[in-house]
Amino acid sequence: MNNTIQLSPKDMINAYLLFFVVHSTQIGVGVHGFQRIVYQDAKHDAWISVLLAGLATHIVAFCMIKTLEVYGSNDLYGIQQDVYGKWIGNFLNSIYILYCFVAFFSVLRNYIEVIQAWIFPGISTWFLSITLLLIIIYAFTGGLRVMVGISFFSVILAIWVIPMLVFPLKFSTMDSLFPILEVNIISLLKGAHSMTFTIIGFEILNIIYPFIKDKKKTSKYTHLALLSTTFIYLSIMLVSIMYYTEGKLLKTVWATLTLFSFISFPFMERFEFVAVCFWMLIILPNLCLYLWAAYRGMIRLVKVSSTKFVWIFSTLAFFGTLMVQTRPQINTMNTYLGKAAFYIVFVYPVLLYLITMLKKKFTSQKEQNNEKI
Amino acid sequence: MKFPLPFSKSKHNKEKAPEETAAPRKDIGMMTPLKMDFVQLIKDATQDPSDLIVKDIPPNITLIYIDNLVNDQVLTDHVISNLQKKSVDTPDSIKAALSIPEINASTRLDVIVKSIVTGSVLIHMEGHSQVIMANIPKLESRSLSTPENESQVIGAQVGFNESLSTNISLIRRYIVSPDLCNEKFIVGRRTNISVALLYINGIANEQMVNTLRQRITDLDVDSLLDSAVLSEMIDDNSMSAFPQMLLTERPDRFCDGLINGKLGIVVDGSSMAIVCPQSFIEFFQSREDQNLRWQIATFSRLLRFTAILLSVFLTPIYVGALTFHYEVIPQAFLVPLSESRALVPFPPVFEALLLEFIIELLREAGARLPTKIGQTIGIVGGIVIGTAAVQAGITSNILLIFVALSALASFTTPSYMMGNVIRLIRFPIIILAGFWGFYGIMLAFCFILIHLLRQTSLGAPYLSPFYPPRLKGLANSIIRLPYPLTSKRPEVARPVDKEKYKPEPIKPENS
Repeated sequence: MNNTIQLSPKDMINAYLLFFVVHSTQIGVGVHGFQRIVYQDAKHDAWISVLLAGLATHIVAFCMIKTLEVYGSNDLYGIQQDVYGKWIGNFLNSIYILYCFVAFFSVLRNYIEVIQAWIFPGISTWFLSITLLLIIIYAFTGGLRVMVGISFFSVILAIWVIPMLVFPLKFSTMDSLFPILEVNIISLLKGAHSMTFTIIGFEILNIIYPFIKDKKKTSKYTHLALLSTTFIYLSIMLVSIMYYTEGKLLKTVWATLTLFSFISFPFMERFEFVAVCFWMLIILPNLCLYLWAAYRGMIRLVKVSSTKFVWIFSTLAFFGTLMVQTRPQINTMNTYLGKAAFYIVFVYPVLLYLITMLKKKFTSQKEQNNEKI
Repeated sequence: MKFPLPFSKSKHNKEKAPEETAAPRKDIGMMTPLKMDFVQLIKDATQDPSDLIVKDIPPNITLIYIDNLVNDQVLTDHVISNLQKKSVDTPDSIKAALSIPEINASTRLDVIVKSIVTGSVLIHMEGHSQVIMANIPKLESRSLSTPENESQVIGAQVGFNESLSTNISLIRRYIVSPDLCNEKFIVGRRTNISVALLYINGIANEQMVNTLRQRITDLDVDSLLDSAVLSEMIDDNSMSAFPQMLLTERPDRFCDGLINGKLGIVVDGSSMAIVCPQSFIEFFQSREDQNLRWQIATFSRLLRFTAILLSVFLTPIYVGALTFHYEVIPQAFLVPLSESRALVPFPPVFEALLLEFIIELLREAGARLPTKIGQTIGIVGGIVIGTAAVQAGITSNILLIFVALSALASFTTPSYMMGNVIRLIRFPIIILAGFWGFYGIMLAFCFILIHLLRQTSLGAPYLSPFYPPRLKGLANSIIRLPYPLTSKRPEVARPVDKEKYKPEPIKPENS
């Protein structure tokens, strides 16, 4: 384990900030329209699927933290290099970097699509893409402290959106929820599986772990963050099921935004116009931290300065946004990303945990044997 | 945890400065015992100014001084009369004969020339090369007056003036403590301005003191005419529009900073003192908040924050909503809005920029003109131009309300420097809103947020106590907590002594 990350306390962040990091990376573009996808499988029991998905995040996060604790102060990239050796480790690292890029790209592209669909039908993709990327580059060059700061503010400044869910309740009926557990368990699990794209983001833990000051508190704040995310998704899902009729929900691509659209105040109507623009602040941490995660991996593979990396990365993402244009393309991308993310975020960490444990046992036995001899 | 002695530091600086300035000019460094040579040397070294007075006192004493720099009364009452009355035969006896506190002797020309330009009388005795320098400067300063730019209703009504010694004596009156450190620096290769760095030993963070001292001593400029210039030169990011150090003309606000572990800088010739490190939110807190009851102070603080938000975002939202997002305007409001805009020929962004421009013009004209005329201009501008613009149909009267409101709101900022920034950043946001609606506003908001996150003030995070979050500090910045709850100093200056007092007295009451 010669590749551990040594940091001065100045570069580290307090553990409680991890709550904001994990929470803000989980909530992003997925929340706009996850209801339909889950509803397709789990019908009106979709909220149970959300709970199951939330439970899965807790289990996976537990495995992640256990794996990281074995290595003290190291990230996923270092662990993979250590577990599988240099070549296979680096190959897996490249895959993870690619995953970060695709996740970054997907968030960016989805947000651009939402803006074009809801507010500015005529605005060109390249303009939205460039402006967002410039903002992200500005944040990225500020360092991790600035990016964690954005996570913090994106959570704090977005709290007021949650009470807005009260408005649709006036037009909802509890009856839509009953009977509970009408669909079979397979459908529920399928629904939970469909949550993948929406609920991922907490895998940032794998990368940010060495940067946490008091590592003992990691699991506490991570699980707290996962819990609050599940709570938010659950409440949105419940409100959606109660508000929409079955056929309507299956045809609504951005169900959350449609929920917002009739919220009105004496000074403002059509709340979703504000919400969609405001969502920029909510996706910023997603984008920044995926970019950062990719950068952390890249410097393990090749020597590259952060400025050079961020420009290359952004240029690729920019041309990517120009290529993926239509709704079916974006939908396909989301589906594939969701599938890949299921294996990378949910299955793989458990596997890695088992491998690490086996290896640990093996090496400690070997050491014991050596001592005996 | 020991600070280097302030004394040794300042002496070091005093000696260093003349060597750099005077040494290259004259090679002859020493004085002569001959009177004629001495007078010639001084005349050459000071460029023989018309106000250089050479005065002989029989039998063998010569006085040289610059007329406009020395205090005439002290000169006649203490120097000349004493020299005439008492018999003096050596330079040392002159020193003893004169009842002047600051009196030195030297044979080095550079020291002597330096001394004469700061207001000394040079006393030379035929036959001795040693020259006595009696420092009796004529300190011209404005009498103390109320602070013009940071007025407040409840609280002390005295402001700094342009004299360094007066300002420091004002500060010492608020902080009567031997722990108040005062380090003196000479800044400016040509103008040699005195700069004093003040902090309270035992509260101020040593690392920050070292950083600030380093920044001042590293400064290589030829002149320094105001503390505002100094603050822009030594702050963390000179490229940012946001000031990272507070400029204040109130001694109580300055001392409030020192008590909280901050460092202060006073510059001779400038009526504004610098306080740093300063966090973003502290620019919006007034010293008066501490003097009022906490409920009242909380109310006015919240009022001020609302005002800032309105000031920055109200006009852009109007522009964005009218240009792109008609949908968000409630129907009841849409009717009066479209009625008022029916005759306006311009797009909203142009209309808003025009009005903002007029308001800024009025403010600028008001600031340049004498007070009485300034008021008149304000009335003329506000009433006549505003009404006329609406009647002529080039603006809508609803926008007029918004623009006037945001201008008014921007003036509630207790720091003039920060108020300027608040007004300035509105313009790019209006333009962005005019082109890309709410998306543009959000872009600007994110940019400003990231920008603020990136800033530091003397190494301390600029957005403290928001980020990194400190719950108590956060509560005390948004509202003003009652005193029993604020026993801790704010975190921004990383004070060594964290507690103002022990919070025990209130415990029996609570239980």
